[in-house]
Amino acid sequence: MSAMTTNRVRRFAGFRRAPVLTTVTAVYLLWSLVPVLIAVAFSFNDGRSRTQWQGFSLRWYVGDPLRSVLHDDALQTALLHTFRLGLIVTLITVPLGTLLALGLDRWRGRLPAGANFLVLLSFVLPEVLLAVSLLFVATTLTSTFVTPVRLGTVGQVIGLVTFQLSYPVIIVRARLLTIGRHYEEAAVDLGASPLTAIRRVLLPMTAPAIIASAVLVFADVIDNFVLVRYLSGGASTEPVSVKIYNTARAAPTPALNAVATLVLVASLLAVTLGYLAWRRFTRDEASAGGLGAFTGEA
Amino acid sequence: MPDRLPRGGSPAPRWLWPALAAPGTAWLLVFLVAPMYLVAAILFGTIDPILRRPIPVWNPADWDPTQFQYVWSRLSGADGFFGPALLRTALYVGTASVLCLLIAYPVAYYAARIADRRRGMLLAALIAPFWISYMMRMLAWVNLLQNDGLVNQLITLGGLFDTEIDWLGGRATTVVLGLTYGYVPYMILPLYAGLDRIPASMIEAGRDLGANRFQTWRRVTWPMSRPAVVTAVILTCLPMLGDYFTSDLLSGNPRTSMVGNLINSAVLTPGQTGQAAAFVLLLLLVSIVPMGLYIRVTRDGEATRT
Amino acid sequence: MKQPGAWRAVERDISRRTFLKAGGGVAAAAGLLSACGGGTAGPGSPNASAVQIASPTNPVRWPIHDDVPMIASGLKPEAGSTLKIYNYADYLSPRVIKNFERDYSVNVELATFNDTEEAIGKIASGGLGYDIYFPSYDQIGKLVAAKLVQPLNQDYLANISSVWPQFTDPWYDLGWQYSVPYTTYTTGVGWRTDQVNTDVASLPNPYDALWDPSVADKIAIIDDWHVAMAMVLLREGNYDINSESSEDIALIRTRLLELAAATDPKVTITMYNDLPAGQLGLCQMWSGDVVNAVYYLPKGQRPDILRYWFPEDGRGMVDNDLMMILAGGQNPVAAHYFLNYLLDEQVSLANFGFTGYQPPQNVINPTRLVEDGYLPENLRTATVLPEWFDSGTRLLGMPIEVEQQWLNVWQEFKAGA
Repeated sequence: MSAMTTNRVRRFAGFRRAPVLTTVTAVYLLWSLVPVLIAVAFSFNDGRSRTQWQGFSLRWYVGDPLRSVLHDDALQTALLHTFRLGLIVTLITVPLGTLLALGLDRWRGRLPAGANFLVLLSFVLPEVLLAVSLLFVATTLTSTFVTPVRLGTVGQVIGLVTFQLSYPVIIVRARLLTIGRHYEEAAVDLGASPLTAIRRVLLPMTAPAIIASAVLVFADVIDNFVLVRYLSGGASTEPVSVKIYNTARAAPTPALNAVATLVLVASLLAVTLGYLAWRRFTRDEASAGGLGAFTGEA
Repeated sequence: MPDRLPRGGSPAPRWLWPALAAPGTAWLLVFLVAPMYLVAAILFGTIDPILRRPIPVWNPADWDPTQFQYVWSRLSGADGFFGPALLRTALYVGTASVLCLLIAYPVAYYAARIADRRRGMLLAALIAPFWISYMMRMLAWVNLLQNDGLVNQLITLGGLFDTEIDWLGGRATTVVLGLTYGYVPYMILPLYAGLDRIPASMIEAGRDLGANRFQTWRRVTWPMSRPAVVTAVILTCLPMLGDYFTSDLLSGNPRTSMVGNLINSAVLTPGQTGQAAAFVLLLLLVSIVPMGLYIRVTRDGEATRT
Repeated sequence: MKQPGAWRAVERDISRRTFLKAGGGVAAAAGLLSACGGGTAGPGSPNASAVQIASPTNPVRWPIHDDVPMIASGLKPEAGSTLKIYNYADYLSPRVIKNFERDYSVNVELATFNDTEEAIGKIASGGLGYDIYFPSYDQIGKLVAAKLVQPLNQDYLANISSVWPQFTDPWYDLGWQYSVPYTTYTTGVGWRTDQVNTDVASLPNPYDALWDPSVADKIAIIDDWHVAMAMVLLREGNYDINSESSEDIALIRTRLLELAAATDPKVTITMYNDLPAGQLGLCQMWSGDVVNAVYYLPKGQRPDILRYWFPEDGRGMVDNDLMMILAGGQNPVAAHYFLNYLLDEQVSLANFGFTGYQPPQNVINPTRLVEDGYLPENLRTATVLPEWFDSGTRLLGMPIEVEQQWLNVWQEFKAGA
């Protein structure tokens, strides 16, 4: 059968084989993406309506002298803060998580089992619990004890690192499992010190996982809402997601859609770049951890 | 040129791996575990009388159960006005999870087992919502569900009929659909990973033994994908349990309050911080079972692979 | 009524020892307690809510704390600084802010809150550095007691002369040591004639409309426990909207639950958007919001569909909001300049144009707001008359244990039981 399939038949092969499943998938894709695309489209609306199309314009990005993203300081602050958090948190979380993954992968005993439990706990804990508990730390302990958790960027970074730490741990560990220990042992046999072996063999080989987790953390942080809202210290530390929440039910202009669109573009850009880098590192391999890594099901 | 390496390197010293794991572990202890104790200290603590801010009490021997009892006695019974919100949370999360599964399973199955040539593209599209901010996606729906929004324009065929529906006026349906829409991507990924992992040979074997597609699915695929289903449901349920913003944005009506809304409104109200702490610990208790299940499933997975 | 007992127990259990242990901002409160009670009247006694309650019959001159000084006279705004303002959303004109930034070379950063309870909690947690806060007048006592606000240097505030005289020595802040007035407003009922066929204003008791599913489908009340619950008492003809009576509070509870069962209201503060957008047909509403709503009507929608009712005799909630300077801010001088700027006649009129909230300016003739083009004819009822501040009911602070009873009822209502 497959030998005689024409291109045309091939194209609809999925549909032929499973019409119901294909339809469900297609409908799902429409349902999940079209609303967002409409929201993006309305960021280009010429009027201030978010429901009536009034023609194309860049008014809400650059044109409007008061409320466009370019001229509304509040929106710009939010956008900048969003990316600032993304960057700082990624830079802290990924090294911290990678080290933890290496340690947990090789260290045997009860203590590492406990640490592993903590990682999994932080992965599945409902975010609001962590957010409220850190909010309590920031609001009740600051005056009494010395704690770094303060409302504002510092508190947000601490909360986000805590919440995101499990991603690099899980992804890098999954990669370490696929690599196995042979390469490292070979390096040691050839005379490398354990640290050199880690630096020269293990880290390069886990690079795809490190990149994947960096992308994942960055994209997740710039979308975060619960933690950053509770731990924000006022307007200058409210990222875009909080701005959306504060104004979505009030009377936002399409400038809100515009700023959300910019975050969306940044997210997709980061993912694309990350994917390309990941491909570069893994092009010689058949499988490099796969999607399973993204789910924590290492 | 690589550095000249000394011949016959020694095995890693015993302290190396603990040392690598130490910073991350310490971080989690300080910023994840310790704050949970503070939550308890606030729940069993007192309140300052002017601004009614919480005063944590650290020593369990001095703990004052008043605030805990206040919440506890209102979970059920005559005074149980928190009860309905808890039941509602269970109902919404349960319904939304089932809907998520009904949508996500076929989609993940299609992506893992049927799509072949354009699987990369399909996967990218399936994952896309995962990268789009939850708030952006809710904003999209808030716009669509306005009284003069596109959904009503579609339903009334551009104003031909006068059956405008007030979607955002406090409807449980809207909130449940919002939750489903919001969390479905988190379900698809683990399901896809689980289904993708089932060796094709197993399924072919089922076919060779004369089973049709459905029978193969029921006898082979479904049992083998069950751990992935468990993981997926847990990973979707847990964050949903603490959700308050979906109900806030899509309804704003007390009639759709969930536990998250109780926490959110108490945590910011002076004098009620202790109640927020009680709900947080309650949610933690409720989450422990699924979290434990998840951790067990994950560990089993690890054990079989190492 | 078991809750109040339980909560009194909590308060009784707060010993001075606990305070000292907790330290910091709380210690400040404890210090104040011991200062007021000479160290003996600790919080153990039921009347320990050390904060005085100001009311028209009990005007209060708040203490000036030595450790929260006012700024010196004759200073220039902090150069290149960022003035941090903490306010409700859409309650300050962006253009006014821009002009102030231009005229004084100061950056302004606006943070918003949803309700003032939440706002005070955040301010009290410290470290946020807000300069200016827009509270309602019942919060002054707490803010002063906790040393969160600083006294005003009136040398900077010459424009005070342009506001209604009653606000230059108000009962809630004798000698206006800490606050200047911002806006005035009434709290009544707003509706759209295209969704509500009844003339709500002509009902025997217009508040009843909120309880009547046959009047409107889409109903909302204001998301502020005191404003919403006081309305329940007003509906009953009870003008003691700060009642300490357990029977009154129990009645509020019953009526609120009836309200939930009858019309399933939304609880929100965005009426100025939701009513014109058609998401609401009828709602409890602030007069400023209904004026503001005109500007939020979709294109092509006639503004004369909006209506507002407030008791003609002025016996309803008549309030004003304030501007205060926070002790934790970094730019107290610029903050004074900003307050004076907003007290300016032209600036506050421009701001009125954006927010819809009437400033208590002498230049505005309240009986001629429609004629002078500030209000459309159909919203003449949204006028705030100066004499209503004598006839109307005021929302006052309450003893802490009473307030807790009110809050518990509100929480029950909001839990959607």
